[in-house]
Amino acid sequence: MPADLALLHDVVAGAPPALRLYRWDPPALSLGRFQPDDDVDRGACRRLGVEVVRRPTGGRALLHGGDLTYAVAMPRPPGAAGSVDAVYRLLASGLIAGLAGLGVEAAVARHDGPAGAVCFASQQGADLRVGERKLCGSAQLHRDGAVLQHGSILLTRLPFDETDLLHGPHDRAALHAATATLEELGAPFEPHAVADAVVAGFAAALDLRFTSTSTPAAQSAARHHVEVESGR
Amino acid sequence: MRVPEELRYSAEHEWVAVAGDRARVGITDYAQDALGDVVYVQLPEPGATVTAAESCGEVESTKSVSDVYAPVSGRVAETNAALTDTPELVNSDPYGDGWMFEVEMSDPAELESLLDAAAYRRMTEES
Repeated sequence: MPADLALLHDVVAGAPPALRLYRWDPPALSLGRFQPDDDVDRGACRRLGVEVVRRPTGGRALLHGGDLTYAVAMPRPPGAAGSVDAVYRLLASGLIAGLAGLGVEAAVARHDGPAGAVCFASQQGADLRVGERKLCGSAQLHRDGAVLQHGSILLTRLPFDETDLLHGPHDRAALHAATATLEELGAPFEPHAVADAVVAGFAAALDLRFTSTSTPAAQSAARHHVEVESGR
Repeated sequence: MRVPEELRYSAEHEWVAVAGDRARVGITDYAQDALGDVVYVQLPEPGATVTAAESCGEVESTKSVSDVYAPVSGRVAETNAALTDTPELVNSDPYGDGWMFEVEMSDPAELESLLDAAAYRRMTEES
């Protein structure tokens, strides 16, 4: 998460737009920018080995570990093209194209009303669904003429979910029914394969050419390194 | 979109209502519409110093978090406590009960740099 904010600061300072894809180890629960800390059952998080972090973007609690997280930082396009909705549509086109490369037909979610404490329990216009189930949740931060949008693409289920980590009554069955993972959809869900598809989707839909930067020596220069976030 | 004639406007979509050396600040109808449903507003603390064109707060909507910029410099005299429990006032009444904070201006000449209603309207229409 701090690395996502660093991407934004780099763009504000004049760096080119960037796309970062990463996984989490150990799992982490990310809270929205202003989500009350009281929502979190810290004891449960400790018992399950889940770190708690706070996003610079809004929204509600989201468990990372079974997902692939993406982050895009870019200068805000001028005029109406730089509006919140326009940027969501632009980046959704890249994500939808990427998921199509995995054989998944995703669409922008309808607005389903106010969200509770769990991000994936409801759908907002920034999210992607397959049928009626949410596959990808995203959030934006606008600052100093630049935009950070990051989000979570569900690859597989962990043995626990947000309902185990938050205070108050939460309906696990409803959360599962409202969400879909790539694994459950019968699509490829290995992180590097999904990352490659997302990069290809962005490149095609947004007419971009990516240059890979932070690849370790063991990775091919042609692949996009899927980083691992430690939550710190 | 409503653009009251008597107000001044910043390029970052804040409005300013001036009374003496006090400037009351909020975000415009255009801005609240673009943000969507506001769920939380973080305002500068009373007594804090704000600087024109610098971020001094944040607004979270269901769709994004966006910075709020101070249109003028000075000391924050008061903030709108109603926004703590009813942030949606920013959407329903952006120029009235959805006001955000008041500044005792340190340099009223900064008002000259702000847009009048016609210029702000042109700016939003050209977007």
